[in-house]
Amino acid sequence: MNAYEEIVLGTTICAAGILVLFLLLVLRRYLEEHTRMRRDERDAAITRSYLQRVAGHRVDLADGWEREARLSAISRILPLLRGGEKTRLLQIAELDGVLDETVRKSRSIYRTERINAIHFLQRFGSEACIARLREIMARDRDPKVRLEAAFALASNGALPPPRETLRLLKGMHRKPTRLDIALLRATAPLYPEQMVMLLEDDLDVAWRSQIIDALGWSADMSIIDVLGRSAADPEPEIRSAALRASARLGHPVAARWVLAALQDPVTSVRLQAIAASRQLEIRDAVPELLRLCGDSQLWVRLRAEQALEHLAPESLEAPVLEARA
Amino acid sequence: MNLTDVVNALAGGIVWIAFTCFVIVALRNAIALLQLFVAAWVFVTRVRPGEGARDLWHRYSDLALPVSVIAPAYNEELSIVQSVKALLALEYPQHEVIVVNDGSKDDTLGELLRAFEMHEIRRTQIAELQQTRIRKTYGSRRYPNLLVIDKENGRKADAANAGIGFARTPLVCVIDADSIIEPDGLLRAAEPFMYDDDRLVAVGGAIRIANGCTVRGGSLQKIGIPKGMVARFQIVEYLRAFLMNRVANAHTNTLMLISGAFGLFRRSTLVEMGGYRHDTVGEDLELIVRMHRFMRERKRDYRISFVPDVVCWTEAPVSLDGLDNQRARWQQGALETLQRHRGMIGNPRYGRIGLLAMPQIVLEDILGPPAELVGYLVLPAAALLGLIDPLMAIAFFFVSVVFGCALSVGTLVLEEQQLKRTPRASDLLRIGAAAILENFGYRQVNLWYRLKGIGRFRRRDTSWAAVPRVGFNG
Repeated sequence: MNAYEEIVLGTTICAAGILVLFLLLVLRRYLEEHTRMRRDERDAAITRSYLQRVAGHRVDLADGWEREARLSAISRILPLLRGGEKTRLLQIAELDGVLDETVRKSRSIYRTERINAIHFLQRFGSEACIARLREIMARDRDPKVRLEAAFALASNGALPPPRETLRLLKGMHRKPTRLDIALLRATAPLYPEQMVMLLEDDLDVAWRSQIIDALGWSADMSIIDVLGRSAADPEPEIRSAALRASARLGHPVAARWVLAALQDPVTSVRLQAIAASRQLEIRDAVPELLRLCGDSQLWVRLRAEQALEHLAPESLEAPVLEARA
Repeated sequence: MNLTDVVNALAGGIVWIAFTCFVIVALRNAIALLQLFVAAWVFVTRVRPGEGARDLWHRYSDLALPVSVIAPAYNEELSIVQSVKALLALEYPQHEVIVVNDGSKDDTLGELLRAFEMHEIRRTQIAELQQTRIRKTYGSRRYPNLLVIDKENGRKADAANAGIGFARTPLVCVIDADSIIEPDGLLRAAEPFMYDDDRLVAVGGAIRIANGCTVRGGSLQKIGIPKGMVARFQIVEYLRAFLMNRVANAHTNTLMLISGAFGLFRRSTLVEMGGYRHDTVGEDLELIVRMHRFMRERKRDYRISFVPDVVCWTEAPVSLDGLDNQRARWQQGALETLQRHRGMIGNPRYGRIGLLAMPQIVLEDILGPPAELVGYLVLPAAALLGLIDPLMAIAFFFVSVVFGCALSVGTLVLEEQQLKRTPRASDLLRIGAAAILENFGYRQVNLWYRLKGIGRFRRRDTSWAAVPRVGFNG
């Protein structure tokens, strides 16, 4: 067989293989479409049976209901239930061993399968699921999987304390990403004191500022003094974070340092102060905002203009146009 | 030199041409096969966005970088209001819609002003990237996140530049005014920026053909399959381009094109680069090639990413009349870009872009189309004349046509296995048939259009004819 014959044969085999694979997928889709009605009926029966069991009725379980079908039925019902009913459904699911397969998949050698399992565990959020998610976050070999477990725990309000979270995600050895920031914010309402204590550690500015930012999401007004002190920090990044957090927390006392920050020599801090004035609806900031409409920095002028549009639109027209001119 | 020498030289020349065409076509397809495998690997191992991450993103919406969606509009009076309503309704924590009326001759501006109760405002342009004059800017009382810019006509690149200049958000999304963005398309496209460590400068997304779909109020209501074969062939082409080439190239960090119909960019980078170029018909390809050049010459660490999920739908020409112009323009744009950035080709200074991606564009856009078309004529002729082994001509047919079928069907396998956006099994079969049939006629006609594009490039033809569209069902 010469090279050309090999090319012809190789191409034919390759094309035939792909074509067969495609036809199999078409067949799979065709069968899915033609069994849809039967599957819908089965799903309705499974859903009905679980709802009856949650309501305390005795139900004879039909044989042959696949575990996957039961799992997806429970996933559908779960968001509709609250309190005791939800807990009961989770207990029934655990008794039926519906989650066994998911837990097994969370130990798979394939990352994608482990992450898909995490999504299911997150949706269920039972005690067993949370325990398994914590185990994954602590022990999985893949950082992406650990991060995904952290999201799942955050979504269930079950993240470990911030120091532990950062250690497990090896956060301190890199720059914080937006998702790290989101995780810190999710931890803040659970452990505000630990967050404040974390600030006493030897942290770099990037992380320190994000922890301060997260404190704004703690809804704990007792940390307002920490924010006040941070607003006077020599690092502009920390000052900005303190302004962001103050605006989020919404404590009126923050107006004091927000007004002072409108005169900060650093542009990013002034920008943050303008945003905070707007969020906190500080009307006393209007004269200062009008002055900032003539700031040397374009972005400061633009943001001051936007804040005035919100706080005092009537004061905007003439002075701003004059300042612009 | 006697006649025999001339005949021998001619025969030698024909054999040489035949071999060259064979090698080029085989190499092109070998690269495509490699891309198919890489794309399959990416799809199999990719982690679909989880609810956990998305939940956090919704909860802390200020962490999602605000986006300005820039929609250049020219003579769109019939559809502009619906399109803008759909853009305003996009699911995203903070987005602004900037419509740039590019000197429309119809009542596009009037429609916008009436429908959205717009009034003239003064808005500072942060960067003046356009070459034409801005007439007025308008804001809306009902929709504070809508801005309309009225400017003199200057083509899409100029209109997009005007919009970029007015944007105040860290990200800008440049689209066509008639693009139909999926309700969560912007959110999905912006997701890579959440995981980003400030290296990401642009993200592209998969685009699908909207012909045959039901579109109401500027939104896609129901996915369908077009009746005409030309549109079906283009579905296969788009799938191949977006699910195979772009996914594979993005994985190897050699993505060279983000479609003009949908692209998400870091605004500061675009402004620094001066925005789109006005003097090319392939401004989208040129922008990304220049972006690579810009970042690498400044030794900046950067990344250009691609989201394989469908984010946007666009209408394709339904007949060959509209297609020829579009394809010739694409070819011309590619050649203009290659000419402008020829210093990057094979240049190790540009790393994998210079050594891999640019030569691939040369193979794909300069050598490929003529080699394949000439091969269809020369190889059978050479075989009939007894100059080459007839098996070589048959092998050429297999390498170009049969292999082409395999690649197209392979992309459909990826689509069905991973995205499943084809409505029914029967539709899948119809597209499968189109994937095979396109290699018998349509593919060759397309090569001819590309040769016409080479001609336009040589003539430096700057004329622009709009691609005829028929609109959507619904």
